[in-house]
Amino acid sequence: MPQLNPEFFVSQLFWLAVFFTFLFVFLWRVSLPRIATVLEKRQNKIDENLSSAKELQEQAMEIETKINDRINKAKLETDEKIKETINALQEDVSSQLSSLDKDLEKKVSDAEKEILKSKDDQMKNINNEIANITKLTVGKITDIELSENEINKVIETHKGSFN
Amino acid sequence: MAAKDSPLKQFEIDPISNIELGGYNISFTNSSFAMLITVLVITLFLTLTVNTRSIIPSRMQLISELMYNFIAQLLSDTVGDNGKRYFPFVFSLFMFVLIGNMVGMIPYQFTFTSHIIVTFALAAIVFIGVTILGFINHGIKFFTFFYIPGVPFYMHPLLIPIEVISYLSRPISLSVRLFANMLAGHTLLKVFAGFVVSMPFFTGVFPLAFIVALTGLEILIAFLQAYVFAILTCLYINDAYHLH
Repeated sequence: MPQLNPEFFVSQLFWLAVFFTFLFVFLWRVSLPRIATVLEKRQNKIDENLSSAKELQEQAMEIETKINDRINKAKLETDEKIKETINALQEDVSSQLSSLDKDLEKKVSDAEKEILKSKDDQMKNINNEIANITKLTVGKITDIELSENEINKVIETHKGSFN
Repeated sequence: MAAKDSPLKQFEIDPISNIELGGYNISFTNSSFAMLITVLVITLFLTLTVNTRSIIPSRMQLISELMYNFIAQLLSDTVGDNGKRYFPFVFSLFMFVLIGNMVGMIPYQFTFTSHIIVTFALAAIVFIGVTILGFINHGIKFFTFFYIPGVPFYMHPLLIPIEVISYLSRPISLSVRLFANMLAGHTLLKVFAGFVVSMPFFTGVFPLAFIVALTGLEILIAFLQAYVFAILTCLYINDAYHLH
């Protein structure tokens, strides 16, 4: 078996020592630190991204709560405004209605007064007419000149009976 | 068996250039060449693929990172936080054995991990290193490693020698496991390759198909043995920290 031939043992050991030492030192000093830095860099990047993502999420949550707050506030405000407007409108309507009522009442009472007044006027006119007619009739039939006072007196006493 | 056709001929070492140093023959051989290729493949691959140091890795960079994480995970699983200091060594060992085995799977390429002297040297580095580490961590108390607590006292005369022998045989088991696997696999491939040529008519197709399947198995074994070598190294390092 060639493996047990000691002829090249020293050569094998020598070159093994040379190449393995070179490999060990090279990997130890050059290759492995390189890979380690790459892995570290990646891990840092991942950590960084994760933390920034977390931060952004927190910010988003904050903004969301703010938005909700504002929406709620706006809802409350609009509700209040709607109520206020309804109230104001109702008041307005009722006041206008009442003022209209008053106006109408006043007009009605005015009209009643006028009717009464015109009735009175008419009554007075009728009295005068009666007095005139009486005076003329009495003057034609008899020669008695009646004074206006006498006529008025008579009319007053009989007024109730032709009313 | 004629030396020319022997399935073991592939393991013969041929000097490429004869070098002598202080009376020792340190010729650069086909085995040394395979080591050179292995080291070049590892260093170039791990350097060039990570050259851009990009956060989003290319496929090749991903392979380097996977290997890095594979061994880092292995060390942290078996040794824990203490293991980080030995990461470059375990990683070098794993890559050297793995790529050495893989380079050996290239046809006509020499497999230096099929030489007991090479695997034994690697195992000896691990064994000596771990033993020194044990004495550094525990001083003279490291000898209590051979003392198993909770065993009846009359068993100790039997158990302590067994423990010592098993400890001392670690480099042998570690090196022979790798060596024997590589030797057997490559020999088997060669034997069946001989059948492909020598069998009559088209029947040579069958051993050829077998070789194809066996090549897949050998690639698996190449990885598995490198993994076993690395994980046993990790376990030995762990023993140097934690006695029974």
